[in-house]
Amino acid sequence: MRPHLHIQAGARTDLGRVRKNNEDCYAIDDSLQLYVLSDGMGGQAHGEVASKLAVQTVLTHCRQSENSRATPIFGESSPDVSERTNRLSSAIHLANRKVFETASSNSEQKGMGATIVAAWVESQRLSIAHVGDSRAYLLRGGAMEQLTADHSLVAEKVRVGILTPQEADASEMQSVLTRAVGTTDSVEVDTDEQVLLAGDFLLLCSDGLTRMVTDPEIASTLLTSSSAQEAAERLVDLANDNGGVDNVSVIVLHAVEQSKGFFQRLKFWKRNSG
Amino acid sequence: MSRLVLKFEGAQLKEIPLGTHPVTIGRAPDNDIQIDNLAVSNYHARVYVEAGSLVVEDLNSLNGSFLNDIRVERAMLKDGDAILIGKHEILVDQVHDAALPEDGLRKAPAPRVNETMVLDTHERRKLLDMAAAAGERSQLSPERLLVPTLMVLSGRTDQKEYRIAGKLTVIGHSKMATVRLRGWFTPEVAAQINKHEDGYYLGRGDRVPKINGASIQGLTKLNDGDVIEVGRVRLSFLFRE
Repeated sequence: MRPHLHIQAGARTDLGRVRKNNEDCYAIDDSLQLYVLSDGMGGQAHGEVASKLAVQTVLTHCRQSENSRATPIFGESSPDVSERTNRLSSAIHLANRKVFETASSNSEQKGMGATIVAAWVESQRLSIAHVGDSRAYLLRGGAMEQLTADHSLVAEKVRVGILTPQEADASEMQSVLTRAVGTTDSVEVDTDEQVLLAGDFLLLCSDGLTRMVTDPEIASTLLTSSSAQEAAERLVDLANDNGGVDNVSVIVLHAVEQSKGFFQRLKFWKRNSG
Repeated sequence: MSRLVLKFEGAQLKEIPLGTHPVTIGRAPDNDIQIDNLAVSNYHARVYVEAGSLVVEDLNSLNGSFLNDIRVERAMLKDGDAILIGKHEILVDQVHDAALPEDGLRKAPAPRVNETMVLDTHERRKLLDMAAAAGERSQLSPERLLVPTLMVLSGRTDQKEYRIAGKLTVIGHSKMATVRLRGWFTPEVAAQINKHEDGYYLGRGDRVPKINGASIQGLTKLNDGDVIEVGRVRLSFLFRE
């Protein structure tokens, strides 16, 4: 029998302990099983504008595409990934354009931008797309994997092999991004796909979490919480307890198997025929 | 109060107030201004006050310290001077509250400490070139034009051989499976292969697959010639011309 996965979602965003405004933003569409999180940048209140606009644009574009297949595709489609994943990437290309145009038409907002990480689940298939250093993690069978590669200077240097992960963690340059939504007229979007399994946790988060909380702490929090919402709240509390130097946002998804297996069907059949 | 301002590619990274103690600059973590760049020596330079004047002194660094584009051993500093160390610029700021630019157009404020900024395209291009150079050594190099292939060694499948294309390859009974397993009690998704930047990774499905006889722990990178076992099906992972 095909397992039917139900996605439980929990989320929270918080100012943290140091910042004066929250430039993070997230949105969840339960019926579409679409989850989007963004961390804005640009000083004053402009980071907030950028992240809200980016998240809203992704949501709107994906909803539109569900209603009409004729919804235009922005950016290049890749034959390597599914139509869904390409759609998610298209949404981020459009968000880039909107943030860039808004910033360009208002000198006060010049230079504003945002990171974005988005997940879209269709039956068992998970599509991920991202730009910047907000991350997606998959916790499966006790092992946690980072699905996204940060678009930050230190992370790219680690990947090229000119910096060790330890040097990266200690670096002054952690806040330097190599890609962001809305800072240039076009942007490269990274995508990934996974088959979700019953019991999987997916975490989307801003760097305010991962700079404050270690991977093992994150994993144990996910595994020991009684619901996705509780996990989201405990993760934010942990980030704040450890210093909370930045805004912190998390979306926690838990894939739960719905009982539509062979024996459930048998019981149902017996009840109805008896 | 005077201060030093650390800048990279025009963006402000850090502000260091100038007091009575010397400010040290270098790659080692115990410097007041740490710069993690291989062009910077461990203890590269220092800035201190001597007889009422601010002085920069190079500490026999390999690549030198530059004051307003001139290499210096030791030099007096004044407001507005720029010290260049590696690719980082350190500005001397003795007037703390700078007036707004005269053109009346307020520019976007420079990022403060810890505030996120984006690298300009020039710097990013250099990084991509470096990444491309590194990529030539990796599996996914276009130079090699090798096609990852799964060859069926034993077990019931719908084909004898599969070329892996795309980011996600599913092995199982499911309709979305590339490698369709046959037979009763075959899991919908037995295993999955994900393409990452640096190669192909095998992950579990409803079963935990084996590589060369050992069950995998989390995502595991596949190497040329690896034998994957999923239930009774054995597949060989090969890079083909």
